[in-house]
Amino acid sequence: MAPTPPTDAELNVMIRARLAALGIDLDQLPPGNTPDPETGAPGRDSVLTSLRSFLRGTVSALAAYQLPATGATDPEAGKALSQQRVPILYPSNSTEWRKA
Amino acid sequence: MSVEPLDRSVDRRAFLARAAALAVASAAGATVATPPIAMASNALSASPGAGNRNPALDRPNAYTKPRPEATADPTELTIAEAAWLIRANKLTAEQLVEAYLARISAYDGIYQAFNLVLADAALAAARDAARGPRHGALHGIPVVIKDNYYTQGVPTTANSFLFKDFVPPYDAAAVARLKASGAIVLGKTQMGPLATTRATTPAGVITTVNAWTPTNRNTDPGGSSTGTATAVAGRMATSGIGTQTGGSITAPSNAQNLTGLKPTMGRVSAAGIIPLSYTRDHPGPLARDAKDAAIMLTAMAGEDPADPRSQGLPDVPDLIDAATPVYQRNQVKLRWNTRIGVLPGFTNGTSATALARQAYLAHLAAIPGVTLVDVPLPDEWSQLTGSTFNNVRLAERSEPFMPYLRTDLRGFGVSVTSWLQGVLLGGNEFLTGQRAKLLLMERVLNDLFDACDVVVQTDPVPFDILGLPEIAFPIGSTAAGVPIGTILGGLPYAEDRLLSVVAAYQATTDWHLRRPADPPAAATARSEAPAEAPRLTAEQVAELTQ
Repeated sequence: MAPTPPTDAELNVMIRARLAALGIDLDQLPPGNTPDPETGAPGRDSVLTSLRSFLRGTVSALAAYQLPATGATDPEAGKALSQQRVPILYPSNSTEWRKA
Repeated sequence: MSVEPLDRSVDRRAFLARAAALAVASAAGATVATPPIAMASNALSASPGAGNRNPALDRPNAYTKPRPEATADPTELTIAEAAWLIRANKLTAEQLVEAYLARISAYDGIYQAFNLVLADAALAAARDAARGPRHGALHGIPVVIKDNYYTQGVPTTANSFLFKDFVPPYDAAAVARLKASGAIVLGKTQMGPLATTRATTPAGVITTVNAWTPTNRNTDPGGSSTGTATAVAGRMATSGIGTQTGGSITAPSNAQNLTGLKPTMGRVSAAGIIPLSYTRDHPGPLARDAKDAAIMLTAMAGEDPADPRSQGLPDVPDLIDAATPVYQRNQVKLRWNTRIGVLPGFTNGTSATALARQAYLAHLAAIPGVTLVDVPLPDEWSQLTGSTFNNVRLAERSEPFMPYLRTDLRGFGVSVTSWLQGVLLGGNEFLTGQRAKLLLMERVLNDLFDACDVVVQTDPVPFDILGLPEIAFPIGSTAAGVPIGTILGGLPYAEDRLLSVVAAYQATTDWHLRRPADPPAAATARSEAPAEAPRLTAEQVAELTQ
């Protein structure tokens, strides 16, 4: 059974806790939705809205993506990531490096 | 059996030297933006080629006899034309620099292309150029540098509060190579804050305008290499360099009638550039035509011990010859027969852009050696190149900036949101994105490039994700006189083929020769007391960021 999607309040706690665990205090930003008049940095509520949307959109979609199995792999067995394509940071460079 | 085991067949001295270089480079890459570490890695500034003459820049095809209309005004000359005049002792570097400084003085108040003009240093370098040995086509040519490239002893801000006082102790590898080739740095150019959007102040107030509509700040000048594009288009420099992570060379080139070349990842060292997304930051030129782009890239390209991505790649080909049109019985033909792939929907519609694309393809088809072929979009194209997988890059911008995120969130100004998004991206999601890159690459190689040699692009991002080369160039104009450009993409390290196609197209068209009119005198006067400029909000920047 799929878990209940987190509420806005739960995500706010998660976001603040994740940032704080890495040493980032969101309260460096101005309170509410008003940007800092000098630097243009957005208010912390505006940022939280954007970050919740990012978690529900980009992060969830990437986590749910299942790469297709490679040709020589049984599709069921291919669900194990070890049988998927390897992660490549630099696909163009590696195309040349693999020719060597 | 007398064959030795592999460990004894490796050249250990060479291995150790290479490993040491990689270790130092990796340390510099991870902390490249922090001045104390930058001081420690000063030894990396001695990139190969720096200080050495590059014979590839002195080939006969690097020099072009000027058009008659260009000889009256040196700021109109291309690199190849100015080089021809300098070699013939009909123009000096000092005259050229003075001509550009005069235009900067007259018009940059309204263009706002520069963060910093190095007038005295440029004049001194021009006088030195007259005394020193000639280095080839870039000898004495004034160029501009995007303000995220390290420049020794010269402030390098990336247009951010975070780097407002940063003065690098050495030149970025690409800058060092340009200077070693004889180029003269006229100044540092405005850019999107930290290379995110069109040029604004770090607080989001729009600054640099499109040189084709200097009185209208709402016309997109393209970003984030905005100032370089406006300086070259507005004839305040012969050529310039930018960086591209998500269209930042191709977009301003298309917006301002220039020929911009985003090389394959690793073709130009990124050492000494303030990073945005390290797997996607590509240094490259914004130029007036294909020949000039080839000259600039010839100077910038090549292996660099400070950037492992530049190593183990094919040798830099003869880009200048590739960008030289070939004639058969007085008719231009392609240097190499080339299949040009056309994506579905590329010419659909009746907009000015659609009509320009139709005319462009018809023109290409008439050049001997061109074969147009319809090519399909690879499976899952929209998904693998859309915003979700494009966002995988955001962790790369957060990680090297953690010290700043902990201490100075407001210092990111209007751009902070995407840095915080990157912090929230987990390792699992990042790795899925890297696996998807290989899947996308396989499909591009097998499905697209099986049927063609180069392919039209409607969006620079897919090939930015893959690190593939792209060339942007002008193909038309709107009824209002705003340039229309297009992009061609190629196989890894196939910049020569891209240049050859564009050179043939430009030999039979004149879009690339058109220049914007000077700003009206009234606008220049107004720039001294500018009206309230429009401003990008943090929410808009989060949507638009490269």
